Amino acid sequence: MRRTHAPVLFLILIALGAAAVLWWSRPPVPAPEPERLTVAETLGGEALEGYARAVELRIFRFPADHGPHPDFRTEWWYFTGNLHDEDGRHFGYQLTFFRVALSPEMPERTSVWASRQVFMAHFALTDTAGERFHHFERFSRAALGLAGAETTPFRVWLEDWSADSEPGEGFPWRLQARENGVEIDLHLESAKPVVLQGEAGLSRKSDEIGNASYYYSMTRLPTHGTVRVGEGEFVVTGDSWLDREWSTSALGEGDVGWDWFSLQLSDRREVMFYRIRRETGEASPWSAGTLVAPDGSARTLGVDEVRIEELDRWTSPRSGVVYPARWRLSIPVEEIDLLIDPRLADQELDTTVRYWEGAVRAQGISRGEPVTGLGYVELTGYSEGKF
Amino acid sequence: MILRRAVLRGLLHRPLLLLFAVLGVALGVGVVVAIDLANASAERAFRLSARALSGEATHRIVGGPDGVDESLYVRLRLQEGIRASAPVIEGVAAAARAPGLTLRILGVDPFAEGPFRTYVPTAGGEGNIAQLLTEPGAALVLQETAARLGVRIGDTAALEVGGRLRDVRIVGTLDAGDEIAARALENLIVVDLSTAQELLGMSGRLSRIDLIVPEGRAGEEMLGRIALILSPEAALTLADPRGDVLAHMTRAFQLNLTALSLLALVVGMFLIYNTLSFSVLQRRELLGSLRTLGVTRREIFALVLGEALLIGAAGTALGLLVGMALGSGLIHLVSRTIHDLYFVLTVRTFAVEPWSLVKGIALGIGASLAAAFVPAREAAMSSPRTVLTRSAAEGRRHALLPLTAGFGAALLLAGGALLLLSGRSIPVAFGALFAQIAGYALIVPAAAVLLLRLIQPVSGALFGLLGRMAPRSIVASLSRTGVATAALVVAVSAVIGVGIMIGSFRATLISWLESYLRADLYVAVAGDSRERAPLDPLVLERLSALPGVELVTRARHLTLESEEGPTDLFVADMPPEGFAGYTFTHGDADAIRRRIIETPAVIVSEPFAWHRRLAPGDTVRLRTDLGERDFTVAGVFTDFSSDRGRVVMSGPVYESFWRDRQVDALGIYLDPARDADAAAEEARRLTGDVQQLDIYSNRGLREASMATFERTFAITAVLRTLAIVIAFVGILNALLAMQAERGRELAVLRANGLTPRQLWGLVMGETGLIGVLSGLLAVPLGVLQALVLIHIINRRSFGWTLQTAFDPALIAQAVGLAVIAALLAGIYPAWRMARTSPAQALREE
Repeated sequence: MRRTHAPVLFLILIALGAAAVLWWSRPPVPAPEPERLTVAETLGGEALEGYARAVELRIFRFPADHGPHPDFRTEWWYFTGNLHDEDGRHFGYQLTFFRVALSPEMPERTSVWASRQVFMAHFALTDTAGERFHHFERFSRAALGLAGAETTPFRVWLEDWSADSEPGEGFPWRLQARENGVEIDLHLESAKPVVLQGEAGLSRKSDEIGNASYYYSMTRLPTHGTVRVGEGEFVVTGDSWLDREWSTSALGEGDVGWDWFSLQLSDRREVMFYRIRRETGEASPWSAGTLVAPDGSARTLGVDEVRIEELDRWTSPRSGVVYPARWRLSIPVEEIDLLIDPRLADQELDTTVRYWEGAVRAQGISRGEPVTGLGYVELTGYSEGKF
Repeated sequence: MILRRAVLRGLLHRPLLLLFAVLGVALGVGVVVAIDLANASAERAFRLSARALSGEATHRIVGGPDGVDESLYVRLRLQEGIRASAPVIEGVAAAARAPGLTLRILGVDPFAEGPFRTYVPTAGGEGNIAQLLTEPGAALVLQETAARLGVRIGDTAALEVGGRLRDVRIVGTLDAGDEIAARALENLIVVDLSTAQELLGMSGRLSRIDLIVPEGRAGEEMLGRIALILSPEAALTLADPRGDVLAHMTRAFQLNLTALSLLALVVGMFLIYNTLSFSVLQRRELLGSLRTLGVTRREIFALVLGEALLIGAAGTALGLLVGMALGSGLIHLVSRTIHDLYFVLTVRTFAVEPWSLVKGIALGIGASLAAAFVPAREAAMSSPRTVLTRSAAEGRRHALLPLTAGFGAALLLAGGALLLLSGRSIPVAFGALFAQIAGYALIVPAAAVLLLRLIQPVSGALFGLLGRMAPRSIVASLSRTGVATAALVVAVSAVIGVGIMIGSFRATLISWLESYLRADLYVAVAGDSRERAPLDPLVLERLSALPGVELVTRARHLTLESEEGPTDLFVADMPPEGFAGYTFTHGDADAIRRRIIETPAVIVSEPFAWHRRLAPGDTVRLRTDLGERDFTVAGVFTDFSSDRGRVVMSGPVYESFWRDRQVDALGIYLDPARDADAAAEEARRLTGDVQQLDIYSNRGLREASMATFERTFAITAVLRTLAIVIAFVGILNALLAMQAERGRELAVLRANGLTPRQLWGLVMGETGLIGVLSGLLAVPLGVLQALVLIHIINRRSFGWTLQTAFDPALIAQAVGLAVIAALLAGIYPAWRMARTSPAQALREE
């Protein structure tokens, strides 16, 4: 998807590893960071052999490629969106399904519980007016229908959280998730064609061949539905964004995390950019992005074309982790210059892997005209970076 | 000051007596504390392991004989959105290369475990989630358990599961977090559900589904929703996170041990009473002087109680040490009995429970003070003048004899009435028994006087002057001999009572096994007998074809979980040959047999009928595959296989209510010409490649059952031995006191020409006489105890009816013990008096 897959992969592996740590441990006890890393390393360590790798260009076919690619080690369906009810009350949501293969193959087993595919899902709701950020995490093996992904009709789910194609093929899609009194039930249309990221969908993340993913996005998905928070029920509309990425290995040596931006601008353009952060503090040359025109045509943004300035920092009261909190993003050749603000400062997911992923709003100039934008920003590797 | 010195002097004057008194308390307290610690350790162990296995679950969904359908779990998660749910598969395995090591297999879904069980695999645990889920046989154990299995991380361990050898690979370790949790996990082998289903042959099934249900309306709403989707064979029950159901199962057993240990303390109390009575008598002059000097009664009273407190404190302190040492030995016996009779349990850690020690201290000090009350009052009540005369004390004792005996008789009767009227209460029964023992003990002095008066002419005729003197002097010094005899009687009666009880149990069991076990060979899957694994159909096929086989009966052992706890159900073919093994409390066996084959009726064992208050004609509700059903109780049969009892059902009835068709035990009837051992050998050879089986001949199974019995009664036998030791100390103490007191009298006799040899004769005659007397008087009390233990305590605790078997040898032995101990007790004083010149003895006085 967006960000570099290397860290993403890492993130997921860490997540699964940490899930291991979590199984019997109670949620309120966060495992110390180094342990997460240790477990991640052991989980992800050696076994790349046997999996498919993102090495060559491939032909993307839809709707088939909305479905799973189980030969790759990791894969995700990443939905984010900004929604408003008729009074203008704002909600941001994130619903993400991660698929992870635990081994490239498995011996014949008699128990149907045996599975080499595992799913993790994150569900978050930003209640801007209520100044609350709700987030939840789930794991399940892909067995007995508890979790899985299917192509025809398209469907990915983890228990009763799901994204599926309503008519069976193609759009609209329906997203459903609920937990602990927080619920979304959304219908997504597609306003623009699929955008293949990187080089025709092959997104390289480091110098090493094979450290790459297959990556496409759907950058503007008009959305309507309902949001429930506690006693309140809101009829909402807005736009969603889908990132799809699958890979086996992506992490570059010396990369610590990434900052990922997705913005839907009022001039009907969309910007995606990820900056891979190196240990040295500078951006990896493999950082990249895409600019999508109102007609759906897209052009790649190189690392030198995009300038990002951090204007503020925010310290998590839970974890003590310091994240950047306000940005100026400019793309001089496209005459874009934006100030980006989080809708809430605290949109940190205190999940197995700790990261910040939040709804943002932007305002500034595009081609000389004032413009506003809505989007999501993801910040990873800040927590681990402390150690 | 002078009082305090008087206390010390009085106590130190007779070091040996003091020692025995302290020892008596120490042993009494020691036994009580040891039993309490052993019980507490066992209970702690099974509560810990129950807690470890249940985790935070509040409820569970249990199923029929083969568990719960896994689709129910999927439905809970997907349709009902009940996420505080976790699928669990439990089973038992034996370590193939570590004999005697039984492991509990716990199959879980790591991703569902979050809120339930809190042990965490070690970080850096070699990526064990991935391995657990994808690698067949991947398992986690504690580091210690791995060591006991003789393997390291990454190694393969062979397990015997359901009679088959299976390999598991230890891919990581469980991290218990702390010592206490580690104890609960030490026999656990954690695997993924997939591996658990494969190891235990439970494809598609779960043992149970654990739930965390919130309190209040949300919880009730959730339970209501779950109840709607349960299939008929499934049920929602409370989880047992604290092991309450287990605790309840062993309650009667533990209570009995505690009561027997208290008996030891009662004997200890007599020792204190005796020692203090003696010391009061000994110092009658001193006490008299003190009174004339103006010391108040209250102070005298406090003085004697102070002495008791010192003895009690010293004895209790020593007793706690004895208790801890003894307890760490007894814990193995207690836990093995629980393991044999109730559930898989290994207690490897002996925990010193502070509360047990507190109880021990309270009992020790309390018993000492209680025992000192009478002597202290006696010392305090006397006026200055009468204290000075010993004969006054004796005189009053004599005068009190009828009163004491009358009171004793009343107590005895009251105890008896209480026994009859107390319904089903076990503690009250023990209380009544203790009242009877106390009542009897009060009658003993009077009875002794009576007997001695009867003996006197006889012994006089036999041994002349000395023969007349011995009984007379015992009667004369009743203040000591009375108590000594009573102490002896109580101690010896405990030996007799418990002995008869064990003997009766053994005899009953032998005759029951003989009539119950009808087949010539018994076959079951090897391994823990409570976790019955199904037999491979091939086994049944091959064994049926064995030459010389006339009949093969199939049986199935099940445990149906329910809200009231587990119900053991035994299903068997009911051919007339096998059915003849059941003995019914009433009713015609043939009619009963017809009813349980042709109608939905069952027979229940005596303990089951007792615990559930059932009689023939009542119904018992069981959860079948078709839902809950009532089955008529066609008969109640004698059974000693389980103290929680069992329900026995015929195969045809079972098959019309349950889908399960598995068989876990076979009974094989042979042609009388066929040698059972040879047939067993051939059966083993024929099935060795299919399943590991336990094949017993009829005799072999009887022997194995008796071995279990002997093991389970080992602890009772140990308690009985301890009672003997305490009785022995009691006898020594009492007789030493008596003879020490008689120093002056004997010296006078010596001065009047009694030869050392005659003196030996007199002393030994007296002590021997007390021994005989106590031994004889102990017999009725011992028999009474045995009867109460057998017919009331056992009945109320376990529900079974035992036949009473009196072994005359046992009674002779106990009386012999009393006499020998008494004679031994005479040696030291006799030797001392014979050695001392009369003049010196008189001067010393």
